[in-house]
Amino acid sequence: MIERLGLSPATAPLEHQAALWVVLGLPLLLGALGAVVRPARTWPVVVAGMLPLLALGWLFAEVAGGAGRSAVTEFGPLTLHWRINGLTLLLLLLSGVIALASAIYAPAYLREDVEASSRGQAWFWPLLGLLSSSLMLIWLAADLLLLYIGLELMGLTAVGLMLLPGKAEALVAGLRYLLLALVGSLAFLLGVALLLGAWGRLDLAGLAEAAEPGAPLWVAVALLSGGLLLKAAAFPLHAWLAPVHASAWIPVSALHAGLVIKASFFIALQLWLLLVPAAALAAWAMGGLAGAAVIWGGVMAWRSVKLKEMVAWSTVSQLGYLLLAFPLLVGTGSAVADLAWQGTWLQLAAHGLAKAAMFLAAGNLILATGESRVEGLAGASRRFPISLLSFGMAAISLVGLPPSMGFTAKWLLLHAALAGGHWPWVAVLAVGTLLSAAYVFRIFRYCFIEDAPEYEFRRVPLGMDAIALLLALAALLLGLAAAWPVTLLRGAGGEP
Amino acid sequence: MPPLEETLLAAALLLLAALSLFDRHLVRACSWFVTFALVVALAWARLGLVWLALLELVLGALLTGAFLFHALGMTPLVRRPRGFFARWHDPLPLTWRLALARLLPALVVLAMLGVALAALGEGVGSLRPAGFVLLGLGLWAFALHRHLLRRLLAFNVIGTGIFLLLMSLAEPAALPAAHGLVITGLVVALLGTALGALLVRRLEALEARHGARARTHGHPA
Repeated sequence: MIERLGLSPATAPLEHQAALWVVLGLPLLLGALGAVVRPARTWPVVVAGMLPLLALGWLFAEVAGGAGRSAVTEFGPLTLHWRINGLTLLLLLLSGVIALASAIYAPAYLREDVEASSRGQAWFWPLLGLLSSSLMLIWLAADLLLLYIGLELMGLTAVGLMLLPGKAEALVAGLRYLLLALVGSLAFLLGVALLLGAWGRLDLAGLAEAAEPGAPLWVAVALLSGGLLLKAAAFPLHAWLAPVHASAWIPVSALHAGLVIKASFFIALQLWLLLVPAAALAAWAMGGLAGAAVIWGGVMAWRSVKLKEMVAWSTVSQLGYLLLAFPLLVGTGSAVADLAWQGTWLQLAAHGLAKAAMFLAAGNLILATGESRVEGLAGASRRFPISLLSFGMAAISLVGLPPSMGFTAKWLLLHAALAGGHWPWVAVLAVGTLLSAAYVFRIFRYCFIEDAPEYEFRRVPLGMDAIALLLALAALLLGLAAAWPVTLLRGAGGEP
Repeated sequence: MPPLEETLLAAALLLLAALSLFDRHLVRACSWFVTFALVVALAWARLGLVWLALLELVLGALLTGAFLFHALGMTPLVRRPRGFFARWHDPLPLTWRLALARLLPALVVLAMLGVALAALGEGVGSLRPAGFVLLGLGLWAFALHRHLLRRLLAFNVIGTGIFLLLMSLAEPAALPAAHGLVITGLVVALLGTALGALLVRRLEALEARHGARARTHGHPA
């Protein structure tokens, strides 16, 4: 697992560390620029937003062909560790694309949404930049201090972004989110403190070697995972998610559901694989939570009254699939782990793209109808075909129908579960697919009501529709091109 | 046997923390908290961690205190707290259901932590027991109160307890990393408190506006 995570001591050092700093710093810089300029049009954002992707291209070129790179930064007496491998590159690219999509969507959305306060708009750009930078930091970090900094930065900026609408519901939901995020960070810090006390180091590679089973390790991992799962809205700790999304701005929701939640999951899975790679029993308990998340999230999504609520609950359900990675990767044979490894990261990427696309499409539908309830969509099939098309394509990937990326990911997970003889997880995957089909088709049932009364509706700018459509297309068609991310996961990560 | 001075310092810390968490009067509780942060700074200085003491003084005592009083609607000129948060009373009556749902997780965390600390061996001085008790007090207060400001106070006290534990656990070789963690934690605690305080003010402003509008339109709020 150390090789897969790009942490083996044999990895070559990164030649130009500047690439790392550019990738980390550019979103921050652009965010600060956005605060000064406050772009009201789309095209400057498109042009500026390409720059971080170009920086990522530089990093890709630096790492190309090798089995990952590592980097070390000396900061006085403090040593900070970084790593870049195939998985990191995939996650960096994913967050670059989703952040860019949200940024491009934002100017038109903020212009159209009459309720968006101008004070909130001023804060949007710097917080967006900060959030992207902190995500990049989390993907690249290879020690617990950097991870802690990234996690806190991400958590606080996410709370800030959620508060921007400034309405009472947003503030009350944000308050709850803030308290939970703070509790999660305290648990994380306490876990890190125990690890530091027991083994005197914070770099992940060193900890993976030094850590010995025993009370300190178990308690530390329990505290770390508790804090992280709270931030990731994993099953019993998910209650804050739906209210927070219900009142947030659409591009913020897309970014949050697509990436922020995944970052906490990524850290938790990474820590389990490194510190307790043989804890099969605990991992099965996590699998139980995963099953409960899939089912409960699906049922709540099916029953939800508002469109955004349904999308938010579906995040809880889809996160359950990701949690299946724990029982499939921890303490299993290499054949199972190999399949599950690819399936997990593909599922993460597929869900990130599809959920971001779905939030943007849902935002278009809500703006167009001026109605946030599901019933308000009656007759949408004739009036807003493009928004509905994007919504549908994202839904195909969420449900996991071919040829979408979601299908490929679930197929791999299913194979892994079958190969290991883990029948409960096969059942979870099957039930989850049925439930997600149920809640998605419920939306379509309302959209295709033909004899709906003709309410007044607004036309959404073409750019907003286009960006949702492009993201949804990516989620749908990348299933056909899944060979590329799989080679990336395998090649640069090193064959185990 | 730790020296008398250190024991006194630890006892003062615990007393001040308990006062700031459980004083019924909110303004007094916030003042106790500022005093608590000052004593923490003193404790860091005594351990030779001058930078940490300065940061605790500026971030933990001055700025956090300023935000806490801002949340109460107090300025150097306005000495009386305003807004409903200042009048809202806690703690909740302790029912069985509440005890099970809230106190049990806190107790489980404390028990697990106790086991882990016992396995890690004896620490020197009273830093570790003080941190542990602070953590327990903070968790207790966090579980029992629903008032946002009291929860923020509890969060800050838990954070300080963790910092004390962290510094007592770190070996000399691991000190730079421990410093990095504590400094990050201090900044996070300040930002969290600031966000919470600004939120409280904003909610109160909305409440006031809503109430005024409701009165002019004839609807009771």
